[in-house]
Amino acid sequence: MGTVQLFPEFISQTLGLSGVLGDVVGSLVAAAVVGNIVLAFTGVAGPWAKRKITAAFTDRIAVNRIGPFGLLIIPAAAVQLLAKELIVPEGVDRPTWDLAPIVLPASALLGFSVIPMGRLGPVNLQIADPEVGLALVFAFASIASVSLVMAGYASNNKYSMLGGLRAVAQNLAYEIPLIVTAMSVVIFAGTLQMSGIVAAQTDVLFSVGGFDVPTWYAFVNPFAFVLFLTANMAEIGRNPFDIPEAPTEIVAGYQTEYSSAYFVLFYLGEFVHVFLGGAILAVTFLGGASGPGPESIGFLWFVVKIWGFFLFTQWARSALPRVRIDQLIEIGWKGMLVLSFANLVLTAVIVGVIA
Amino acid sequence: MSDWIAIGALAAVGLLIPIGMMTVSALLRPSVPETGKSTTYESGETPTGGTRIRFNIQYYMVALLFVVFDIETVLLFPWAVIYRPAIEAGVPMTDLLWPMLTFVGILAIGLGWAWRTGAVEWARSSRAASRKTERDINT
Repeated sequence: MGTVQLFPEFISQTLGLSGVLGDVVGSLVAAAVVGNIVLAFTGVAGPWAKRKITAAFTDRIAVNRIGPFGLLIIPAAAVQLLAKELIVPEGVDRPTWDLAPIVLPASALLGFSVIPMGRLGPVNLQIADPEVGLALVFAFASIASVSLVMAGYASNNKYSMLGGLRAVAQNLAYEIPLIVTAMSVVIFAGTLQMSGIVAAQTDVLFSVGGFDVPTWYAFVNPFAFVLFLTANMAEIGRNPFDIPEAPTEIVAGYQTEYSSAYFVLFYLGEFVHVFLGGAILAVTFLGGASGPGPESIGFLWFVVKIWGFFLFTQWARSALPRVRIDQLIEIGWKGMLVLSFANLVLTAVIVGVIA
Repeated sequence: MSDWIAIGALAAVGLLIPIGMMTVSALLRPSVPETGKSTTYESGETPTGGTRIRFNIQYYMVALLFVVFDIETVLLFPWAVIYRPAIEAGVPMTDLLWPMLTFVGILAIGLGWAWRTGAVEWARSSRAASRKTERDINT
């Protein structure tokens, strides 16, 4: 895929820099831009969109006092939360307790390094496109669980400990079905490279009344799509799989003892993780940044897709009850694991027959 | 352009953002130490006992299985990548499928055995099993 210019290269060329200096400066600027795009998403999602969506589901109004549609609650909430006193509870394991809220948002942001976010005008918003892209993004996303365990253990709180242990159990239950289902996409695409997976979804599957339905893997293999969506909800820890947090059972799980900026970072990290989950789903099953219209507005379609996924998680939050942790183990190992391997073998046979 | 320089740059940004927020917060926030404020939260009660005790992790058999299956998925990735190109290059499908099916099949037998012996379930301690629950009382 050497023909498509990546974002860091575009910047170093625009600035007229070359060599190692150009690489480093271009990469840093590109990373800062992508990081801030994702932060802007979470800024809108956390204090505003989440409240508005939940309010709409439960027939309320929610934030509407500050600014148009209550939008200025975003800076207000940011200042308020950052200016809160940090309470350090007794007996916390100090370096670990401080590191956990750094690891969670950092790992989720790192996942965005290989996501092809599509074109916006002349710019191709993708930071890197290594050949192992899909494996890499799952590796980055999984680091989040480590942070939850760190927080759970270091807090010296029984609820936090239970939350951390539940995070591990959840990880054990969904990780293999998630990756094996993604592998069925790899069988179709024949590559792990993110741009390659997107490029493989641009053919026309069939036409309905002059409208071409593309070969998005969600249309080619809807069964795998549903399976991946379910495992993805567990990966990002949203309802019905918000077991590590479980506010009605263990207070706030692993983040019980966190306040001030540390709490904000956990909150932010979770939202970045939700958007990363949406981005992985969009790339593997929803054709990445493709959509009607010219290629240069691809980024807008990508935004629509990941916000659509965010809306879906909030819908599930309002509509679905939480499963118990022992139920999740059974769902993962007796249901999803078996189904995902069946899907893998079936996909391999179908591809073998039609290719 | 190396991909890894770019990924490293995002890692640096990803660390800078939380550290920056912590720094800003440290400059803004008040510090009003009071006794009792820093007590470990235990639903408003005085905390009893420590947290770092020996604890029955009820999914350790599942965790052991996970290690095996996780390695399996890693080993399947190369197979998945070459599968379609190999088919298109004219390799018969059965030649490509049998090794994978054998490999997955061996682990499937293992999973079936674990399923039968109840290893892929939330282990209930004998104490929890003997304890009366609300449901037991009602029936």
